Amino acid sequence: MRVPLSWLSEFVDVELTPEQLAERLTLLGMEVKSLERWGADWQNVVIGELLTVANHPRADRLHLTTVTVGDGREPLSIVCGANNIAPGQRIPVALPGAVLPGDRRIERTEKMGVVSNGMLCSGDELRLTGDAEGILILPSDAPLGVPMADLYGDVVLDVDVKPNRGDALSILGLAREVAAATRQHARQPVVTVEEGSGPTTGERLAVDVRDPALCPRFVGRYVSGVTVGRSPDWVQMRLLAAGQRPISNVVDASNYVMLELGKPIHTFDAGAVHVGPDGRRQVIVRRAADGERLQTLDHIDRELTGDTLLIADPEGALAVAGVMGGADSEVSDATTDVIVESAIFDPVSIRRTAFRLALRSEASSRFEKGQEPRMARLGADRTAQLLHEWAGGVIAPGVVDTAPDEPGRSRVSFRPARINHLLGTQLTADEQRELLARVEVETEHAQPGDRVNVALEPHLLAVVPDLSAAVTALVPTWRRDIAVEADVAEEIARVRGYELIPSVTPDTLMPEFRASPLEVRQLVRETLAGAGLTEVVTSALVSPRHIDTFVMAREVPSVEGEDQPGGDAIGVTNPLSRDHSLLRRNLLGSLVDVVAVNLRHGTPDVAVFETGKGYARDGNEPREWWRLGLALTGTGEPASWNRPARPYDLDDAKGILELLARRLGLPRPVYEADAGEAVFHPGRTARADAGADLHAIVGELHPDIADRWGLRTSQRVIVAEVALRGLSAGRLSPEKAHAVARFPEVERDLAIIVGEATAAASVEALVRANAGELLRDLSLFDIYRGVPLEPDEKSLAYRLRLGSPERTLTEAEVEAAVAAVVAALPGIGGRLRA
Amino acid sequence: MDLAQLTSDLEALRARATAAAADAPDTAALDALEVAVLGKKGDLTAILRGIGALPPQDRPKVGAIANDVRAAVESALGGARRRLSAAELAARLRAEAVDVTTPGRPIRRGSLHPIMETARQIADVFAQFGFVVYEGPEVEDDLTNFQMLNIPPDHPARDLWDTLYLDLDGRLLRTHTSPGQIRVMHRERPPIRALLPGRCFRYEAVDASHASEFFQVEGLMVDEGTSLADLKGLLDQFAHAMFGADRPTRFRPGYYPFTEPSVAFDILCVICNGEKCPACSRTGWMTILGAGMVHPVVLRYGGIDPERYQGFAFGMGVERIANLRHHVVDLRQYMEDDLRFLGAFR
Repeated sequence: MRVPLSWLSEFVDVELTPEQLAERLTLLGMEVKSLERWGADWQNVVIGELLTVANHPRADRLHLTTVTVGDGREPLSIVCGANNIAPGQRIPVALPGAVLPGDRRIERTEKMGVVSNGMLCSGDELRLTGDAEGILILPSDAPLGVPMADLYGDVVLDVDVKPNRGDALSILGLAREVAAATRQHARQPVVTVEEGSGPTTGERLAVDVRDPALCPRFVGRYVSGVTVGRSPDWVQMRLLAAGQRPISNVVDASNYVMLELGKPIHTFDAGAVHVGPDGRRQVIVRRAADGERLQTLDHIDRELTGDTLLIADPEGALAVAGVMGGADSEVSDATTDVIVESAIFDPVSIRRTAFRLALRSEASSRFEKGQEPRMARLGADRTAQLLHEWAGGVIAPGVVDTAPDEPGRSRVSFRPARINHLLGTQLTADEQRELLARVEVETEHAQPGDRVNVALEPHLLAVVPDLSAAVTALVPTWRRDIAVEADVAEEIARVRGYELIPSVTPDTLMPEFRASPLEVRQLVRETLAGAGLTEVVTSALVSPRHIDTFVMAREVPSVEGEDQPGGDAIGVTNPLSRDHSLLRRNLLGSLVDVVAVNLRHGTPDVAVFETGKGYARDGNEPREWWRLGLALTGTGEPASWNRPARPYDLDDAKGILELLARRLGLPRPVYEADAGEAVFHPGRTARADAGADLHAIVGELHPDIADRWGLRTSQRVIVAEVALRGLSAGRLSPEKAHAVARFPEVERDLAIIVGEATAAASVEALVRANAGELLRDLSLFDIYRGVPLEPDEKSLAYRLRLGSPERTLTEAEVEAAVAAVVAALPGIGGRLRA
Repeated sequence: MDLAQLTSDLEALRARATAAAADAPDTAALDALEVAVLGKKGDLTAILRGIGALPPQDRPKVGAIANDVRAAVESALGGARRRLSAAELAARLRAEAVDVTTPGRPIRRGSLHPIMETARQIADVFAQFGFVVYEGPEVEDDLTNFQMLNIPPDHPARDLWDTLYLDLDGRLLRTHTSPGQIRVMHRERPPIRALLPGRCFRYEAVDASHASEFFQVEGLMVDEGTSLADLKGLLDQFAHAMFGADRPTRFRPGYYPFTEPSVAFDILCVICNGEKCPACSRTGWMTILGAGMVHPVVLRYGGIDPERYQGFAFGMGVERIANLRHHVVDLRQYMEDDLRFLGAFR
């Protein structure tokens, strides 16, 4: 809400500086977003008086003028194109060197052979009024030579009015807030209506509200004989400062009332409204028929639905109630008689209609926050009066009013002790009542029958208070937001100032211990960062192309007990863009994107991880599961003067999985080749499992995908998706200490020759299965191919560490263990290398 | 051979051997000298062979001199050996010297994402005050995301949260972490001190200060006497932990449908320290979070009796806190994942 200080001052005295006022309002809950100096962009524009006006010798459309800007200063000759000027008028003069809004600079120029020492300004050029045709004619007492900004400058506060305070979406409402902040009372708007003679409103206008639930009150007035034209300059100035474009005196009057009182008003060209047999204009308030059509003011033909509230006449729709008028009944230059509609509509209905028609306006946003019934009458009267003053209309006596009984103040009871308990304050009941009085909330002792509403429907909780310790607030009709005891607490705290609330450290009971669900995620993050990977955070919403490309033939299963992947992707029905229209089912695509982005930025080495969720549907139920994703490409060990570079490969990714498994106390991952995933290189991809607590797929990105994703690199890209026990919520169990070997352990190296197709994992499994319980550790330390092996053979060299916690092993025990392994080798077509 | 001759030979050997030890160029020369003088076939033995020709009464005298010469030569050899081996070690160390000013062998450095780390730091601060972490689903329903938070359908306050709806019955992407309040209340009885970090989504065009995906941290505390003053005290502690103990704070009215009274919490602008700059919209203050006393209706929805219990909730944007701590001006950078940006963080 834009609030020109000059307008605000009509309702309340403002003695603070604009900055002080802004801060006080902010501390009262009416946050001032910005302070705008209206007129700060008029530099070197002063008030002058026209001395002479003559025709330009060489251009019919131009005038030569002389202008004085005050005693003792040379008159200026200025060329001007406007036709509304005459000697003796006071006008704004932009002197050479002046700057106008839009950073328009005015210099001494020559126009058709005549020098012009500046420019006479229109209202539009100063953004003061909407008139771009003529020069802005100032009052004859405007002081000569004085800068325009001194006289017409203003300060405009931009106030962020929250949705619960529809009453403050007006100059009057904010004046009340200023009054509360400065211990004054706002001046009530004094609305005098100078009614004419002739037929009464009731004799000219019939209003038939057929749906009183959606239109609880309709006040109509009739103004005849208006002359549609421009509003007075000062009106245009105010509207513009408040952010409202001047249109015509009739439309401006309704907008003025909306801004001043917060009451949206609609004006109809009475000539376009059907006349009944009794001579009265017939206005009907009803729901639209399904499929009924109306061309709205913006000249769009709209199809309406049955829950749209209409203002109509017997022949059809005239306007969408509270949202937008119709083109046919719009006030135009030819309009002579005006029907003023000042109605109360159901907030929900207006909001729904405005959303459905995508026509949210200043008016609809006020209606949807709820309107004070009293304002219906006030608004109608005020508008009629302004039409009389600005458009010369005759106001028909009386009003048509469908619900003239106005509700009084509502009773909201509260317990001062309870307020203190909530706020942490120690205010007496009288102090609380005094604070409420500052926002015009009256109070009295609670009466028998008064209930303290702790909560309203649908969870109503109304308490019978101890009458001696309860107070009842009589809430003014405009404060629809004060309904329960907690609302009263806020009002008291706010008026007193939140800065006076004590600041204490809580000393109430502590909750029971609960382990953080982030424990495992935290260890994973720190481990990976320590291993040289950078954590990334990517969007969970991806494109259909993502979903279709990064699809798994066999999902990486979640650990037992958690949501399992699989199923269709969940879509957003109102996405911001196609690129963010579906929830991802895995992290692979997002991480490939990170690789792509960094390659584009000229960062060739990328080692990243993310912990995030996959999402999919199971019928109509959503599922979410936690995953760890990795992507590696480029140099794993950067080159240096003392070492050559080494690119990342699959073994780095596996090493990371093994590191994680070690840090989490899991068995070493076991790998199995997987050639069946379109996303992955068929010969360089493994499934990994570490017991039941870690499942992963790890492999090189398929070159086709790298191509399709435009990865600009000749390096391999390794990606992995990992399901891990505890990633969603889990604790780290304490590590089990192992007794350090007190007896010497023995190492034996075995070179085992197997066929190329035999997986190292199966050789390792065989060794473990046969070496017996003395095997402490097993590691692969070399792979050899070549002479004297056959071409389709390889030799895997393992180091076995054997030992016992109880004794030093005998040579015979060691040999027996090795022999058992060797004896089993033929089972996998293997043999010991001689 | 007489006593005088033998004595003279021994003294000559002493003089020659000690001089040779002093002049030896290296320890090998000393070893050779030792063998030549003191060895079994050395000069000393050779001289003493002549002792048998002396009268018996002279023999002890020669023996005494010989022992004295042996001791003198050994001492000279020892001294020379110590001197020479120290010199040799020094020479070796000199030879082994490298240019220590070259850079070391590089170790790949990883880093943690500033948003995740900021969320963790926030949780660490509140953990000191007994707040424990909970998490809720990101795919929410309208009931929990809005209605149970006192935001009925068609309520104008819905404008505060532009929502992304899903093609699943009544589901949406949570617009804030606040539905976690309801989930915690359904699960725990007071005293409750809960912290709920997580990813949120809004229908929001992305620019330097708006994101459609972002992270929030929600807090909830409910007990019999938990008051607005407790909230203020706790938030002051939080601000001081995150922005310095001398950072002034401001507690002012705000608006959320699920809190009453509602609070906006500011810190003095970290850029201009209150001098009023563009970063703080020339107000001198920066809002870092919203909060308030849990609305009684929300407590009721959570199954908690608002006549017995009361509490507060707060919610903050992690990006906002991270921006202010790390002087990031464009929050799009957080999800662009440019390693040149992320590399600046620990």
